[in-house]
Amino acid sequence: MKKIIFITFLIIVFLASSVTLAAEKTKVQFWHAMGGWRIELLQEMVNNFMALNPDIEVEVQYTGSYGDTINKLNVAVQSKVAPHVVQGYDIATQMLIDGEVGLVMQDLIDADPTFDIGAFMPQVLNYYRVNGKLYCMPFNSSNAIMFYNKTLFEKAGLDPNKPPKTYEELLEYAKKLTTKDDKGNVVQAAVCWSLNCWFFEQFMATQNAPLVDNDNGRTGRPTKAIFNSDAGLKVFTFWNDLTKNGDMINTKLEDWTAARNLFISQKVAMLITSTSDVALMVKSAQENNFELGSAFLPTPADAEAGGVVIGGGSLWIIGGHPKNETDAAWKFVKYMTEAPQQIKWHTGTGYFPVRKDAIEGLLAQGYYSGSPHDLTAILQLLLSTQNYNTNGAIIGAFAEMRSIVASNIEKMLSGSMTPAEALAAAEKAATEAIRNYEGL
Amino acid sequence: MRKWTPYLLLIPTFIIIVIFIYVPAEYSIKASMQRILPFGRGTSYIGLTNFLKLFSNADYLYSVRFTILYVTVTVSIAIILSFLIALLLVKKIPGVKLFRTLIFVPYAISPAIAGALWTFLLNPIVGHVSYFFQVLFGIQVEWMTSKPYAFYAVVFASVWKTLPFNMIFYIASIQDVPEEILESATIEGANVMNRTWRIIFPMVSPITFYLVIMNIVTMMFSSFAIIDVMTKGGPGQYTTNMIYRLYLDAFYFQKPGVASAQSVILIAIMIVVTSIYFKFGERYVHY
Repeated sequence: MKKIIFITFLIIVFLASSVTLAAEKTKVQFWHAMGGWRIELLQEMVNNFMALNPDIEVEVQYTGSYGDTINKLNVAVQSKVAPHVVQGYDIATQMLIDGEVGLVMQDLIDADPTFDIGAFMPQVLNYYRVNGKLYCMPFNSSNAIMFYNKTLFEKAGLDPNKPPKTYEELLEYAKKLTTKDDKGNVVQAAVCWSLNCWFFEQFMATQNAPLVDNDNGRTGRPTKAIFNSDAGLKVFTFWNDLTKNGDMINTKLEDWTAARNLFISQKVAMLITSTSDVALMVKSAQENNFELGSAFLPTPADAEAGGVVIGGGSLWIIGGHPKNETDAAWKFVKYMTEAPQQIKWHTGTGYFPVRKDAIEGLLAQGYYSGSPHDLTAILQLLLSTQNYNTNGAIIGAFAEMRSIVASNIEKMLSGSMTPAEALAAAEKAATEAIRNYEGL
Repeated sequence: MRKWTPYLLLIPTFIIIVIFIYVPAEYSIKASMQRILPFGRGTSYIGLTNFLKLFSNADYLYSVRFTILYVTVTVSIAIILSFLIALLLVKKIPGVKLFRTLIFVPYAISPAIAGALWTFLLNPIVGHVSYFFQVLFGIQVEWMTSKPYAFYAVVFASVWKTLPFNMIFYIASIQDVPEEILESATIEGANVMNRTWRIIFPMVSPITFYLVIMNIVTMMFSSFAIIDVMTKGGPGQYTTNMIYRLYLDAFYFQKPGVASAQSVILIAIMIVVTSIYFKFGERYVHY
């Protein structure tokens, strides 16, 4: 009998304490789109945050790709069960602003004197600032980078310390790097990147060329696509030539993994991918016994000096929650962008730190002398010209435009369109998508 | 009381149908005549503009043409092949039950997994199918990213996926064909071809009738996962069918109005197909 009373007492105490604990904690839901090993890394960062803030409980949820996450947010907002913090991707910025789902980050920053936005990288802020206001908090930023296999370069008789800088050089190198069997099947290709409009955007920016009018949509809402230019044609022709020669292996639409695997398995000698893959590539090169090199994106020899565009994601605080929850969400977002967390994130993935002091700290520790590829990635960004063309386009119908450009590239690669035809068709359809979105 | 019992028994089904079919259908019809801003920030009535835009959109018209081709090819192959394999599987040979079980496996696999599986098999560099092609014919086929192979790849996977479903039905109904009829036909001198196509095939026609409709529905609607995983509608929208187009507009480009218009068109097509088929079927199917 005594036992039963004791056990009942224990249960009551346990229940009571858990109820009071639950009542005290403010819950913050955080949706993100970072798959793979990054799920654990983010969870670890969140756990550290919760250890420092025992009154806040952050529920982390991996909600699939960037596109899926926006989708789920769309549904959640309309059924009034939106999370507090969502990772939105670069190209959804305008759509999220138009949807008025997020609190304007600038207002939260202005209201908090402890927060210093001056510590952030201007290159990153320039991307996310729309009409002079910061709508979301930069978190994971990346852009495109070229990796190359030094071992394969040496085998082909090329200088492993001289990666190609121009389209022309790359085409020359490709003659040596591409090997075929006696039936004409490609055994080893020179280069590969996943079939993705994002690379087209990066290649345009490195030539200092815009995608849409009104200064890439930064001085007014865009009304038409203007990428059917000399620069655009050079990118399409380059892509087409590489494919026709057998120098490049194309993946299916947006298949990043396939492109990475081709490079890791040493089927291709050069890979253009996101800088967020730096950590993965360093590890994979070690495991597969080849020496990794990294370089800036190639440009046409006569191109104007431009730069790379910020890609990746940012954190949005969704409106419509009670004040204490929004405050907790702000605390969390602030924590995630602080220097120690940004360093952890940067070294664990390859995404840039979005803060200057994080880079300074790492430099002082000598981190970059041991991680030359992270340095390549950061230098490429820092050496980029800063103007509307390299700050990235702001387009409401960006997702649709991407799909249009990619599918026209596929039509060109399959031989049913010439580069000029594909580019013209893509521009026309993109303009129509923009006009539809803007209600013109 | 007896008068009411059937209605009473129908209520649960009716409630489910109303909630999951009629209400969404009504919502689709309403949304198809609206322009809806992202995140539901506002809607405005625009009449039939969404439909008119669709019918003047070359990409959409292509997806309609592709759907017709895709459905015709996959359904025909799936029906004929499954009937032939079922004929073999009713033979009383040792191990036939094991074969039946093995052959049923694809049906138990989800379409997305099926797509992923075929993506591996058809991978031009490391895929097994590609390897055999290279050994046998000496060619390197880019199954998922080139024309017309992307179409073949999607057809393979879709047929492979639906085949077992059809076979189970055919096996059951072929076993139901009375032994006496076949015996007397044999005595009268009917050969295998005659017995198969003049006796068995007509006797299982109600099942064929049912399977054709089921397969059309499957290919029109459930093909989404296979296409999404295998080709993403590429290369260059080459394998984008109506349901994939709808997905892109609804969930990728955030255009619920246009997407709803497409789903209304799909509903209309299904109504037409089934009603034609029922009329036609009543005349030719032997019950």
